[in-house]
Amino acid sequence: MYKKILLAADGSDNSFRAAEETLHFINEDTQVTILNVINPADSKEDVLHSGASESIVSKRKAKLSKITGLYASNNIPYQVHFENGVPNETVVKFANKGEHQAVFLGTRGLNGLQEMVMGSVSHKVAKRAEIPVMIVK
Amino acid sequence: MIEKFKREWLSNPGTNIMAGIVVALALIPEAIAFSIIAGVDPMVGLYASFLIAVIISFAGGRPAMISGATGAIALLVVPLVSEYGVEYLLTATILMGVIQILLGVLKVGKLMKFIPNSVMIGFVNALAIMIFMSQIEHIFGISFDTYIYVIITLLILYILPRFLKKIPAPLIALVVLTSAYLMTGSDLRTVGDLGSIDRSLPSFLIPDVPFNWETLQIILPYSISMAIVGLVESLLTARIVDNATDTYSSKNRESRGQGIANFITGFFGGMGGCAMIGQSVINVKSGATTRLSTFTAGIFLMFLIIVLGNWVVQIPMPILAGIMVMVSIGTFDWGSFRYLQKAPRTDAFVMLITVIIVLFTSNLAIGVIAGVLFSAIFFATKISKVDIHFESLKNVNILRFEGQIFFASIDTMIAQIEFKKYDKPVQLDFSQSHLWDDSAVDAIDTIVRKFEEKGNTVYVSRLNADSRKIVKELSQLNEQHLTQ
Repeated sequence: MYKKILLAADGSDNSFRAAEETLHFINEDTQVTILNVINPADSKEDVLHSGASESIVSKRKAKLSKITGLYASNNIPYQVHFENGVPNETVVKFANKGEHQAVFLGTRGLNGLQEMVMGSVSHKVAKRAEIPVMIVK
Repeated sequence: MIEKFKREWLSNPGTNIMAGIVVALALIPEAIAFSIIAGVDPMVGLYASFLIAVIISFAGGRPAMISGATGAIALLVVPLVSEYGVEYLLTATILMGVIQILLGVLKVGKLMKFIPNSVMIGFVNALAIMIFMSQIEHIFGISFDTYIYVIITLLILYILPRFLKKIPAPLIALVVLTSAYLMTGSDLRTVGDLGSIDRSLPSFLIPDVPFNWETLQIILPYSISMAIVGLVESLLTARIVDNATDTYSSKNRESRGQGIANFITGFFGGMGGCAMIGQSVINVKSGATTRLSTFTAGIFLMFLIIVLGNWVVQIPMPILAGIMVMVSIGTFDWGSFRYLQKAPRTDAFVMLITVIIVLFTSNLAIGVIAGVLFSAIFFATKISKVDIHFESLKNVNILRFEGQIFFASIDTMIAQIEFKKYDKPVQLDFSQSHLWDDSAVDAIDTIVRKFEEKGNTVYVSRLNADSRKIVKELSQLNEQHLTQ
């Protein structure tokens, strides 16, 4: 069993599936860090579609509530961590700090053209992370 | 104080300088394109971006935000430039600065919260559509080569960043395709066909206009619009950068800073500007956190123009048009389509009406003001509905008022009441309502009087503390009307 793992989660269904997958590799003694990256490119939409800054923060937390609920109900200790930055670089940097034994993440399920334009986070992380990477489809 | 200076200027200097250089490279094509939209020489926009970026790095309220010549301001001044010329634009820019400084001193940053999201979304969408439409004349009906260059530009802009992150794609498009043009001599229009480049630093000059009442009448409406639009976009951008960096910034200092920047820029031959959403996001994405990034962006931009000035006139227009298409796609709020379906009807309407009014008037300021007015009216209508519930108890009839009682709600409220002789005393229950103004108190007096005219005994009961206070002060009712 892993002692400390990193779960990169954007709150999507794919990231929830990744969270479910981690349960096969961990138990009550495993410390899970849920990393949510706040992409500057999303800030415009964030600001335009939700008023006060407090409501933006609570919205971010709400997005991850399904995942935190999953760990809570399985008695897995977890902590939620928010970072500002470009998603793939930020996840890689965090994973390579040496604190975690493995990193889990979901794919965004993009098609070929979208991937060409937006870039695949999981692909970049798989290439650059120095710890084992589990990509959940 | 020194701590703050260190944090806002000196932390992580390497990353911030690099980010500033990246932004400078991305700013050049935009500054030139915005100048052409406004109908002035490219230098007017380039000087503006240089000066505003450098000045705002000291005077602004939001570290790591980028300001310069923008499409929003350029689109506003088109008629001013075409009718009166660039000197009037410079004068209008100076006055725009004065107005913004005043608004900043009057703490107008706080007023921004009265601009609802629906109007903000309408603002960015209208801006995006106008930038796009301004490029049509540079894309369609010129030559076959023009289409090819626009398409290749767009391909470079959207695909290259996947493989090459460090250098901004617009600059690569600019260098590669301008070289291609110089080698092949394709049938294209260039920047040089539309204006000239002057490889010198900006210098102080007082705009050559007659300083009289007539000039003021010409420029004042433009200056007011420019000041409003500049602040709306700047404060929106500041909130976006706040969000992207999880930090807070002073909106009043930013308003004053924008004013100072425009005021000085006008005297040095630059057009008015404001903060830029896209460029600020590029800056933050590159890791910028300090004022040094903004400062570097301005200085490096000017350095490049001094060095590469001769090149700039050779840039084919379709490349700039392609870059502007990307800017407009990036400016548009693509969440709007979902918003139109999900948001309350009135919000969706305000968003659309803001866009429509801007497109009809070609003036973003009018759109914002109209949008705010419409949403204020909708808000007032929404909260001006007072429900009245009638309940007949053993020895009293109760009329329970639910809602906000104020000048806009009293007419429909009174119309709901049936004034006749009741068999039991009438008790007006205000536990579910709030009296806001003297019209409300007046209305209560009227209701009591009308019931009494029919021969009823009337009690006013369960007012909340605030309402009770204004009733005590303003009402003609006497103590025996008032019960707990």
